Amino acid sequence: MQEFIDGLIGTTTGMEQHLAYLAGMLVFGAAVVFGFILPIAGVTSWLERRVWARIQSRIGPNRVGPAGFLQWLADGLKNLLKEDVVPDAVDARLFRLAPYVVVTGFVAAFVAVPFAGSLIIADLNIGILYITAVTSLVVVGILMAGWSSNNKWSMLGGIRSATQIVSYEIPAGLAIFPAVLLSGTLSMQGIIESQGWEPWNWHMFHSPFALAAFLLFFVSTLAEGNRTPFDLPEAESELVAGFATEYSGMRSLLFFLAEWGNLYLIGALVATLYLGGWQVPDFTRSTFLLAVAQFGTFFLKAYFFVFVAMWIRATLPRVRVDQLMSLCWKYMVPIGLVSVIGTASVMVAFPEGNMTMRMAMTGLVGLLIVRFFLRVRYHLRRSKGVGFQPTGSVAQG
Amino acid sequence: MSVEVEIEGRGGIATEEMTLNMGPQHPSTHGVLRFIVKADGEIMRTAIPDIGYLHRSIEKIAEKVGWHGFMPYTDRVDYVAAMTANQGWAMASEALGGIEVPRRGEYCRVIAAELGRICSHLLAVGAMGMDIGAITPFTHALREREMINDLLEELCGARLTFNYMRIGGVAWDLPPGYRDKVIDFLDHFEPVIHELNDLLSYNKIYVERLANVAPISAEMAISYNLVGPNLRGSGVSYDLRKDRPYSVYGDFEFDVPVGMGEQGTVGDCWDRYIVRMRECLQSCWILRQALDQIPEGPVIAKVPRNFKPKAGDVHVRVESARGDMNWYVAADGSEFPYRVHIHTGSFAAMSIIEEISEGMMIADLVAIIASLDIVAPEVDR
Amino acid sequence: MTGYIRNVYSSLATAFEGMSITFSHFFRKPYTVQYPDRIPLPVQDTLPYRYRGLLEVDLEICTGCLACERACPIDCIVIEAKKDPSTKAMILNRFDIDMAKCMYCGLCSEPCPTGSIHHTREFEGSDYSLESMVRRFVKVPVAAYKPKKSGEDDPEIVPILERGMRYIDEFAQPVDPKKSGAKS
Repeated sequence: MQEFIDGLIGTTTGMEQHLAYLAGMLVFGAAVVFGFILPIAGVTSWLERRVWARIQSRIGPNRVGPAGFLQWLADGLKNLLKEDVVPDAVDARLFRLAPYVVVTGFVAAFVAVPFAGSLIIADLNIGILYITAVTSLVVVGILMAGWSSNNKWSMLGGIRSATQIVSYEIPAGLAIFPAVLLSGTLSMQGIIESQGWEPWNWHMFHSPFALAAFLLFFVSTLAEGNRTPFDLPEAESELVAGFATEYSGMRSLLFFLAEWGNLYLIGALVATLYLGGWQVPDFTRSTFLLAVAQFGTFFLKAYFFVFVAMWIRATLPRVRVDQLMSLCWKYMVPIGLVSVIGTASVMVAFPEGNMTMRMAMTGLVGLLIVRFFLRVRYHLRRSKGVGFQPTGSVAQG
Repeated sequence: MSVEVEIEGRGGIATEEMTLNMGPQHPSTHGVLRFIVKADGEIMRTAIPDIGYLHRSIEKIAEKVGWHGFMPYTDRVDYVAAMTANQGWAMASEALGGIEVPRRGEYCRVIAAELGRICSHLLAVGAMGMDIGAITPFTHALREREMINDLLEELCGARLTFNYMRIGGVAWDLPPGYRDKVIDFLDHFEPVIHELNDLLSYNKIYVERLANVAPISAEMAISYNLVGPNLRGSGVSYDLRKDRPYSVYGDFEFDVPVGMGEQGTVGDCWDRYIVRMRECLQSCWILRQALDQIPEGPVIAKVPRNFKPKAGDVHVRVESARGDMNWYVAADGSEFPYRVHIHTGSFAAMSIIEEISEGMMIADLVAIIASLDIVAPEVDR
Repeated sequence: MTGYIRNVYSSLATAFEGMSITFSHFFRKPYTVQYPDRIPLPVQDTLPYRYRGLLEVDLEICTGCLACERACPIDCIVIEAKKDPSTKAMILNRFDIDMAKCMYCGLCSEPCPTGSIHHTREFEGSDYSLESMVRRFVKVPVAAYKPKKSGEDDPEIVPILERGMRYIDEFAQPVDPKKSGAKS
């Protein structure tokens, strides 16, 4: 982006250059936020409702726009027009500030997300570390929301969420390590460029340890994003909406926007670190077409994980707080450590990489996918009554 | 907001005990129930139930509307499984009036009661899944419940407050083609129960949430007067349909599922849940047998419009979805009952919550209430 | 150690199984009925014959026996019927049913000797005022119906009577007239 602005302003130096950079940053930031992040969060909410609905044997929103696609616009507009209720007994400044802190925490991470080879706002050389650090700002916002609501249930929700996010930073960080080790750099574009476009050249198939790290990373970021099975802070059946109980109108929608947008961020991170990001085969000379293909690939990979996160939320129940903590410290941290050491060992044992192991891992995952679809077929056939035996004696009329 | 302050001085740290109010309006409690929870962080010290938010004086209304007119009100005593409440009142009135129900009428009653039992268990299981966080099994269970509601709508015209049974039999005979519709539904439904089992019951997270949570031993269950699936989940094999057969339940062959501590201790939440799932399958078996064996004949005995039983009292017990429903009815020879008292399984289950919730977490309280299958209208009437 | 590995394996395996079940639902038809506009038939026609919807009275065949008023447990039916001293015919002055009180139990339609009070398959009765909930079926005082022993021959009343009798045939047992205290 810096080159782009340099091209616009010529060779001015000094204060004007800095001001131009500042203006450029603000404009680009606003463009990305309003042009990309908010629509993504909105479309994710539409997709979530349709995906849940089909899983639950019903139809989701289908009236507003084709297949209900504009439902999120209608919801956003409705929330903007709602009365701004700030309850009397809350801590007014913290109450008002909390949603913005949460949204800032997650929007700031998009600076370093690589959408295509040439489409990244700032290719920081500490890319992934910056993202991990900045998304922790969300904890502050949630604690502010829970505390300022002057409501014991909200406070419980805020505290649960803070413990959860802070604890799951550790397995997430440990799970980033294998990818960083394999790439040799923390910068996001560097990590992607060290992978290839073929599936077996992705980082996740490098060794069993890398596969474990991939799974661990996905689950820990789900926990950080407060998604089921780790959505205790907003457990509907216990705490109404946890830390966001007292919020109404646009403020509550900002919390939800942060959650859905975070889903996309999770997908983007997983796609970058372990799935080869925007890598596509070299099929054209035109940089524009290449950028479009790269953007499309990245988007599809990230959205696949968004879909998987929604699918998991519809399927699995919630874990309890103490089980959450024991899962983190007793299961995920040891597995994370083992995967780091294992990846490093494999790298030392095979400095040029081991194609056999890669193909074996790819084959293993392929077999799992095949088994999955066979189970799906089994369930479909059973629901139609194939091979059905009624309960009790077989000889029924 | 009041916060009770109790300085405990554990290791020199002053801690406070929170008093939380899981109020009458709450997305998780099954109806308008209120619990005052004294919690130390996440661990509860005690959970005191507060009932009475859904009291509608149904027992007193019986003294005003008379014998026939009370039948619609019995639906509302437990609107989740309304058929067995109908049956209880009908049986009590017939016992007082010395009326014998024709055999076909009894079979119709059994068919309706078992369909109602499946309805109720589906709702219990679905609501439990949703309280634990799994939202899909709830919608699947309610989809099946909708199909049963359609069947019952064909039978008696209403989906929730059936008013199907009358003193002396039932109000309508089975409509033509009903047997095939019910068998079709049962053939569709049993694989769905197995699917719900695969999706929810053996899921590791679900089992971890429910196994070893609030185990109720058999002695404690009996001393607290728990009945129905709650009692059977604690290992006591007691089912009124088998041990004291009423109506024509003696003609049918079925098993009584009992909690055996498969995934934890005997009598924990998971046992009570799985007993309900298995009872659905047993009800399917009973339904098939009933539809095969149903005789021809009238479905209702001749009962006068101004029914005046002799003075006296009677105690009738029906096995509803939530256990024994005790009907104590006293007549004084007039057109109106003298006193009606209903004692339901949920009422007893409320009393045990305070005892077993000590040391549990708040998230477990929700699981306990759901596993005991407490519905507020039964508790308060 | 084996318990540890078993825990990890069973979590992944049961999650895998659960996800395969929910994925299979993408290939099944949803169960939703998009009432009221995207359904093939009007919803009233999909309801069964015995459906207990809003009450309706066919005054042409009402005999003025007051059996429904007595049977109603909520007292939502108010009938005024007086014998006209000159013609010795029963005149119905008032037949009001308060639909807000009615609990759709069906106890009134059972004892009716001709089936004039019956449940329809209408259920959309919402309105903006409470007074409109009271349905007044008598606009001008009419004479009650006297069932003829040789069968009905008035061509206007025959179809109504047939529909009414078919309705009460659905009930398991018509009311025992000797014991009902009916007036006619």
